[in-house]
Amino acid sequence: MGMFRIYPKILMILAGASMALMAVGQYAIWYHAPEELTMGLVQKIFYFHLPLAWWSFVAFFGVCVSSVMVLWTGREHWDVLAGVMAEVGVLFSGLALVTGSIWGRAAWNTWWTWDPRLSTTLVMWFVYAGYLVLRSADVGGTKGAKMRAVLGIVAFVDVPLVFLSARLWRSIHPAVLASKGGGLEPEMWTAVWINVLAWGALFATLVLARYHGAGLKRRVEAALIRIQEKTLQ
Amino acid sequence: MNYLFIANACVWLGVGGYVLFLARQHSVLERRVRQLEILDGDE
Repeated sequence: MGMFRIYPKILMILAGASMALMAVGQYAIWYHAPEELTMGLVQKIFYFHLPLAWWSFVAFFGVCVSSVMVLWTGREHWDVLAGVMAEVGVLFSGLALVTGSIWGRAAWNTWWTWDPRLSTTLVMWFVYAGYLVLRSADVGGTKGAKMRAVLGIVAFVDVPLVFLSARLWRSIHPAVLASKGGGLEPEMWTAVWINVLAWGALFATLVLARYHGAGLKRRVEAALIRIQEKTLQ
Repeated sequence: MNYLFIANACVWLGVGGYVLFLARQHSVLERRVRQLEILDGDE
């Protein structure tokens, strides 16, 4: 429980760093990165679409690792961390889907198409949203934690498929890292990496804030049990 | 240009909504912890 007392300070520092990095990221998007010749300003959606997608992969990898740790160590905090990572991952991948859809409307003249990358991403989003719904079912104890851990590991099967889909199958979705330089100017890459860093800082802030909230919930439950025990004595 | 603004707005609404949800949940839980700790001390 001691850790929960230093979390607010770390959270404040992380939140400040994410806000500063986001401001620099926005400057890089609007003023530093040049306008793309074919698509124009709409291409700039890419600078937050890509970091959102990448950090959602990191989140789901975190769910998988935390779930393995639950089975290995049986410690409750890994189960909590898996839930927190899944929640932030669903938020980020949801926003990546929305921004991708808006980009698709401008680039392909359609809000949605059943392309391998888009379809596997949508399946991934539904899998983790379902995982969160199952987590909300009140199955406590070691058995519940193990069940959630197995689900967290199985759910990860789709994530490498999403990443590789644009390379494995015929896809209209651009695979930026597959081609050398990705057809981007050096200034565009600067904007990409600043925004990846900014969204990473925000990701860490949200995960820590949610984890801190889970700690508060545990303190409430522990205090309620103590009061109940005292009342019964 | 419009699409860029819509996408940007969607992202900040999504993140902002989640941050508000977290802030509200934290303030409720912190108030509850304080109440229970006072009650626990009285008992």
